[in-house]
Amino acid sequence: MIELANLSAQFGDAAALRDANLVIQRGDRLGIVGESGSGKTLLALCLMGMAPDSAHLTGRLSIDGQDMASATERDWQRLRSRRVAMVFQEPMAALNPLRRVGDTVMEPMLLHDGLTRRAAQVRALSLFEEVGIQNPDQRLRQFPHEMSGGQRQRVLIALALACNPMLLIADEPTTALDANVALRITDLLQRLAGEREMALVFISHDLAAVARATQDIVVMYAGDMVERGPTAEVLSAPAHPYTKGLLGARPDASVAGRDANGKRRRLPTIPGSVPPLQGLPEGCRFAGRCPVELPQCATQRPVFTQTDAGRGAACHLLTEARHD
Amino acid sequence: MTDVPLLEVRNLTRRYKLPRQSLLRRAPVLTALEGAAFSLRAGETLGVVGESGSGKSTLARLIMAFEAPDAGEVLFQGRDLHGLTAEELRKLRRGFQMVFQDPFGSLNPRRRIGWSIAEPLRANGETENITPRVAEALEQVGLHPADAGKYPHEFSGGQRQRIAIARAIITRPALLVADEAVSALDVSVQAQILNLLMDLQDDLGLGMVFISHDLAVVGSICDRVLVLQHGKTLESGAAVDVLRAPKHPYTKTLLKAAGVRP
Repeated sequence: MIELANLSAQFGDAAALRDANLVIQRGDRLGIVGESGSGKTLLALCLMGMAPDSAHLTGRLSIDGQDMASATERDWQRLRSRRVAMVFQEPMAALNPLRRVGDTVMEPMLLHDGLTRRAAQVRALSLFEEVGIQNPDQRLRQFPHEMSGGQRQRVLIALALACNPMLLIADEPTTALDANVALRITDLLQRLAGEREMALVFISHDLAAVARATQDIVVMYAGDMVERGPTAEVLSAPAHPYTKGLLGARPDASVAGRDANGKRRRLPTIPGSVPPLQGLPEGCRFAGRCPVELPQCATQRPVFTQTDAGRGAACHLLTEARHD
Repeated sequence: MTDVPLLEVRNLTRRYKLPRQSLLRRAPVLTALEGAAFSLRAGETLGVVGESGSGKSTLARLIMAFEAPDAGEVLFQGRDLHGLTAEELRKLRRGFQMVFQDPFGSLNPRRRIGWSIAEPLRANGETENITPRVAEALEQVGLHPADAGKYPHEFSGGQRQRIAIARAIITRPALLVADEAVSALDVSVQAQILNLLMDLQDDLGLGMVFISHDLAVVGSICDRVLVLQHGKTLESGAAVDVLRAPKHPYTKTLLKAAGVRP
C-alpha cells in the first residue's frame, strides 16, 4: 500500500533522514519511536507530501503503487485526507479557533468528496459518535475553546477520518494530554484502525503508549532507522544498543529507591547527547555514545541485519556475531 | 539534628474566584487545593503527582510564597512564610528556590546565561564574588564555567534545564521546588537530569518537593509521594508502597498510563 525505499532527506549537507525503508499494509499498526531530532516527524511529513521545501529528498516513495517522486502539489492534494491523513500533537493549534468544529470537520468532505452540506453533516455526526464524543449534535456547533484537550484531540481524529483514509498518521497524539485521557485516545486510535481496517502509524517518544497501540515498531536515532520488529519483542529484548539505552533510561519504580547505604539508586543513562546533524559520525550515528562500540563503527555504516522473522537492527555487533 | 522539619505544610487551602456568570449571582469559587499537609526533612524528596487541575502547581506557588493561602500554614525551618513581613520573606527566599518546566521560557534570551544564573544573588542584594559563584554553580550541574558567556539558544534542552538548576542552587538553598522539571525532556536526557538532582541532593543535603504528572518519574526519585486530584489528597505514603500497592483507583490509572505495569 505504502512503500518507502531508501528515502533520504538532506538539508544542505546534513541528512536529517537516511535511507528510510518501510512497507505499510492495510491494517498495520506501526509505532515509530525516537527522541528529538530522530527524524520521526520528518518521516511523517514525507508520507503526507509535506516535507519542507528546503529538504532535498532522494529515494522512492510509492502510495497505492503510484510513484510519488514526481508528484505535484495537486497530486498530493488528491491523496491527502482521502488516502493518508494526519493527527497532530497540539489540537488547539491545529483547529481554527474562529470556526465551529463541525464546520472544520465537514470541510474536507465538501472539498474532496464533493458531498452536499446536508450529507456532510450526517457524516460528521456519525464520525463524532465513532470517536466517542458525547452529545455529538451539540458538540458540532461548538468552538475549540469550549472543549477540553481530550475532546479537541477526538475532533482532530474525526477530521482526519473525514474522507475515510487508508492510512492514519498520528504524530505525538497524546503528548499534550493528561495520563488517563492519553490512555483513552491511544485505545481509540487502536480500535479505529481495527474496525476500519486502516493502517495506523503512531509516532511518539512515549514507549508506554506505543506499546499499547501498535503491533510493530521502528526505532529511530538521528535520522536512521536503527531497529525494527514486533513491538512486544523489541521492547522486551532490544537488539540495538540505542534501543537498550533508551529502554534502560526510562524511570522504573521497581528498581528505584535507596540502596543499603541509604543512597538513591541512579538511573542508567546514555552518555552525552545527540550531536548536531553536521557533526554526526559518518558510520553508525550512535558511535561515540555507544557503550559497546567497535573500531569500525565511527567510519563504516552498519547494514540492516535481520535477526528473526520480521526483526532486525542496523548494528555492527550483529554482523560480527555472525562471523563467529 | 533538630526536630524541626525543613518544610511543614499544614492544612493548606487555596480558593480562586471564577468570573461572575450572572450579575445577580455570586461568582463561583474553585477550590484549587484543600487541606494539603505533609512535612519534609533535609535530604528527603516528596513527590507530588497529579494531572492538570489537580492543584499541584498551586501547592508549589504557596510553598514558594508567590501567593497566599486561604487557610493553613507553610512552615520553612519552623517559620510561617505567610506570616512574615515582605522584608523578612525576601531575606529568607535564598533558602528555597524553584526549578520550572520550561527552561527556555525562564531564561532571558538576550542575556548571557551567567547573568541569568546570578539573578537570585542580585535579588538578595549580594554583589561580591558573583563570577566565582556562577562558575561553581555551573560546575555543580555538569557545565563548564566558560559557558557563563553564552546565550540560551546555544544550549540543548537538557543543558538549559541544567542552567535553570544552576540558577536555583546558586543561593545555596536548603529546599528546592521542582515543578515538572523534566517533563519537556527526552527520555535519555530526563534520566541525566534526574541523576543530577539526586547527586545535588546527596552533595548538598537539599530537601526537594518534586512535582510531576508522571508517576514513573516520581517513583524513581522520591522517598514519599502525595497524589492529588481536584485539589484533594487522595493518598500519600512511602513511594515504594504507593507504587507497589496503590490504594486509590486514580493512582492505579496513573500507574497504568506510566507503563510501570502492563
